[in-house]
Amino acid sequence: MADPGQIIHLSALSAGLLPLMFLLPAALIIFFATRKKRGKDRTDAPDWSIPTIDAEADRTSLFHRWDPAAKAASLIIYCFLIASLKSLTCSAIALAVSILAVFLAGIPWRGALRRLAAMSGFLVMFLVVMPFSASTRPGETLLIFPLLENLPFHLHGLILALTIVCKACAIALLMEPMLGTAPLSSTLQGFARLGIPGPIMQMILLSHRYIFVFQQEILRMHRSMRVRGFTARTDLATMRTMGNFFGMLFISSFDRTQKVYEAMLCRGYQGSYPTFERPVTTAGDVTKGLLCAIIGVLLVVLDRLFFSLPI
Amino acid sequence: MHLINSQYHEDIEVQGDDLLFAVEHLFFTYPDGGEALRDISLTVRRGDRIALVGKNGSGKSTLARHLNGLLPAQRGSLSYQGEPADANVLAAMRRDIGILFQDPDNHLFCNSLYEDVAFGPMNQGLGREEVESLVHGCLEAVGLRQLMYKPAHLLSYGQKKRAAFASLLAMRPEVLILDEPTANLDPRQEQIFKELLADFSGTLIIIDHDLLFLYDICERAIVLADGRVHHDYSFRDLVSQQHALREHGLDFTFRFSCCGEDHHHHEPASHRHYHHSHEHGDNALHAPLPDPQTPVLELQHYSFRYPDMSSGVTDVNLIVNTGETIALVGENGAGKSTLAGCLLGLNRGEGYFFHKGREVDQKYRRSLWRQVGMVFQNSADQLFCPSCLEEVAFGPRQMQLPAAEVKMRVDEALDSVRLSGYEQRVPLNMSGGERKRLAIAAALSMRPEVLILDEPTASLDPESQELLLEILERLQMTRILITHDMFFIRSLSSRTIVMHQGRIIRDYPTLEFLADEHLQAINGLDYTYKNHCLEEIRDLQHIGRHHAHFPHLLPHSHPPRTAD
Repeated sequence: MADPGQIIHLSALSAGLLPLMFLLPAALIIFFATRKKRGKDRTDAPDWSIPTIDAEADRTSLFHRWDPAAKAASLIIYCFLIASLKSLTCSAIALAVSILAVFLAGIPWRGALRRLAAMSGFLVMFLVVMPFSASTRPGETLLIFPLLENLPFHLHGLILALTIVCKACAIALLMEPMLGTAPLSSTLQGFARLGIPGPIMQMILLSHRYIFVFQQEILRMHRSMRVRGFTARTDLATMRTMGNFFGMLFISSFDRTQKVYEAMLCRGYQGSYPTFERPVTTAGDVTKGLLCAIIGVLLVVLDRLFFSLPI
Repeated sequence: MHLINSQYHEDIEVQGDDLLFAVEHLFFTYPDGGEALRDISLTVRRGDRIALVGKNGSGKSTLARHLNGLLPAQRGSLSYQGEPADANVLAAMRRDIGILFQDPDNHLFCNSLYEDVAFGPMNQGLGREEVESLVHGCLEAVGLRQLMYKPAHLLSYGQKKRAAFASLLAMRPEVLILDEPTANLDPRQEQIFKELLADFSGTLIIIDHDLLFLYDICERAIVLADGRVHHDYSFRDLVSQQHALREHGLDFTFRFSCCGEDHHHHEPASHRHYHHSHEHGDNALHAPLPDPQTPVLELQHYSFRYPDMSSGVTDVNLIVNTGETIALVGENGAGKSTLAGCLLGLNRGEGYFFHKGREVDQKYRRSLWRQVGMVFQNSADQLFCPSCLEEVAFGPRQMQLPAAEVKMRVDEALDSVRLSGYEQRVPLNMSGGERKRLAIAAALSMRPEVLILDEPTASLDPESQELLLEILERLQMTRILITHDMFFIRSLSSRTIVMHQGRIIRDYPTLEFLADEHLQAINGLDYTYKNHCLEEIRDLQHIGRHHAHFPHLLPHSHPPRTAD
C-alpha cells in the first residue's frame, strides 16, 4: 500500500453531511421524476389528434429538424467520445452540454429525470462503494469516518466515481434529444439507414407496442392470483406457481405472436414496414453532425492535454 | 343429426362473376392431429351476409382463416373469384378480404392509430394523399378521429375494437370476416358496430354466438358442428327452428322470458338506498346504521384513483347485504371492474370500507380474499395451472387447509359447475364455456361470502350460457354480477346499480331498472334494443310450431334467392 499524503479524521457531523451531499441530488431527481399531481383529478387529457411527440415538444428545435439517421450517427459517436473522457472536469462539461441539449430540444424534463432516476440506484452504489474500495495512491488524501478507521475514504475514488456518474448522466440525457424528438418509427428507420438490419428494427417496434400488452396480461394474471390468496414466498410451492404463471404467459405470448403475424399478413405485410418518408440528409444535418463531433473531439483533447490525471 | 352441404345456393344459377368462394370437400387437420374441418363444401356469392355459427370448437375460425387466405387447403379445393387458391391467389385473398380477430390487440401492432390504419393502404401501394384521406375517413367512421395519434395500449377495449375495424375498412375490403365482433362490448358500442355493418355494402361473414345481434344483419346462416356444415339456410329459418338451435347449442330461447309475458317476477330483496340519503352526526361522522342487519360489504364516500391520477371511482356509497344478488351495470369504462377491485381489496382508495361492520384497514385488506371471490372477465387471466384439479385446489391450498379438506372442496366445487371427471384435464384445452365454469369452481372452492362475476356470459355460446345460468341460480351466496346481459340481470339480480363515469347514479330494484326509461338519456345505453328481435323470433318460432302441426297451411315464406 502506498503512503497517503494526508489523513483527515472526520467529526460525526461532517461524516453525516458528506454522504448527504451526494445522496441529496439523487433523492431530488427521484422525487421530481416520480412526483404526482396531488389533490386533483387529471383532467388535462392530451390532444391525441396531433402527433404525440410534437404535441409535447418544440417542433422547431434543431433536434426535431435533424434527419434521424444523421442525428443518431452523430450523437452515438458523441456518446462514445464522452465515454472515453477521464477527467471529472471534462465529464462535468459534457454533462452541462447534455443538459443544454435537453433544453434546446424543448422536450419535457420529466422523461429525462425518470431516465436518471432509473439509473440512480446503480450510480449511488458507485459513489458509495468506489471511495472505500479504491487503492491508495501516493500523496492522496484519505478521510477517516468515525467507527470506520479500517476503511479509509479515498478522495481519488470519489473523483473517479463522480467522473463515471457525470459521464453516465451526460449520455443518458442525450438519449432524450436522440430518441424523443421524432416518432419512434422514424428514428428506427434512421437506424436502419445506418445499416442496422431491418428485422431488428421491426422487432424493436413490435416490442415497444406489445410490451404494454404483456404488462397488462401479467398484471391481470397476478391480480387473479392475489384474489386467490397467492403471496410470493421462498418455498417450492411459490416456485411451482411462478413456473405455471410464466409457462402460461409464454403460451399466450406465443399464441399472440402467431396471431399478430397473421394480422400483419392480412394487411399486406411483406417483410417490411411501409413508409412514405424518403429522408434526405441535407447540408444542415451534416453541419449539426460536425458541430457535435467537434464538441466531442474538443472535450477529448482538453481531457487528454489539460485535465487528465493518471488513474 | 343431419348433414347438409351448402344448399343455400342450390337452386340458384350462380353466374361466374357473382361467385366469390367455392369450397369443395375441404378438410383440415392441425399438426397435433385435431381434425378441424371435415368435408366442407359451400359457395359464397358477392353480397352474401352470412352468420357462421356453431358451438365453440366447431371449426368456424378455421374455416374463416381458409376463406381469408391464411390457411391453404390441405385436402379438397378452395377457389376465389373462380381461381384456384394457389400462393398468389392466397396473397390476393389476404389483401382483398378483411378479417377481424376476436382480440383487437392482435390488429393494433403499430405505435399509433394513424400508423395502424395506414399500414394496409400503404402496403396496397396507395399514394400519400389517398392514404391520408382513408385514415381520416375510416377513423371518423368509427368515431376515433380525435384519437388518431393515441397509442393502442392507452385505448379502452371498445375503442380498440373499433380501431381494429377501421384498420380493415381502410383497405376497402370486398369481403369482411368478423370473429365475435361484439364480445365484451356494451350496448352502445354494439349499436355502433351494428350501424357500421349495416353500411358495409360488400360480402359479410360474421362468427358470433349472439344471434340477436346477427338477426338484423345476416340473411344466411351456416351452422358448423364437428368441422362439418350441418345447416346452410336462411337466417330466419335457423332462428325459427328451435330444435335445430338446440341441436347445435345455439338455443337462446331461454331468453324469451326477458321481454315477454313469460318472465317470472322476482321480488326485490330488502335494502336501503343508504348512499343517497345517508346522514351525518353532529361531529360529521356517519350516523349509526338503523338496520340491525350488518352489511357484508360497505363503502362510504369511497374514491379510487389510478397511479396516473385519473379517476377510477368517485365518492361511492354502497351497501352489499348478505345473500342478495346485485347487478352492476354501466358503459365500458364506467368503473364497474374498478369498483370490483375496491371490494376485493386490490384497489386501495380513500374513504370508508367495512366488512361486516369492521373497518378494512391495510392489514385486514390483505386477508379479504378469504371472504370475497372473483371470476374475471377473461378466463385466460385466471387459469394458469396444468390441470383442473390443481386450478381448483389452488385457493384452498393458499388457505393452508388440510389435504382431505382441499380434496373435498375440489370435488364439491367441480360437481357444482358440472365438471366432475375433469380433474386431470388441461384447462388450456377446454372450451370457453368449460373454462368459465372452471374459473367459477376455482372461486367456489374457497367458499367466499361474496362472489363477484365480471361479464360471465361474454363469448359463451347460448348452450353454455343457459348452463351457466342454472349454476349461478343455485349458488347460495352474496353475488355481484357485472354484466350487460339483460336476461341475466333480470333472472339473477334483485337490485341493480348503474355506474356512469366512476359514480353510482342509480341503485334500485331490478324491476325499476328494467322500467327506467330515463337511463338511456344519462349514459347512452339502450339495454332494450334487442327486445324487438326477441319478439320477432318468438313469433317466427310460434309460426314454425303451428305449421309443424298444420303442414298444409305452410306458406313459402322463405323462397330461395335468385341470382341477379
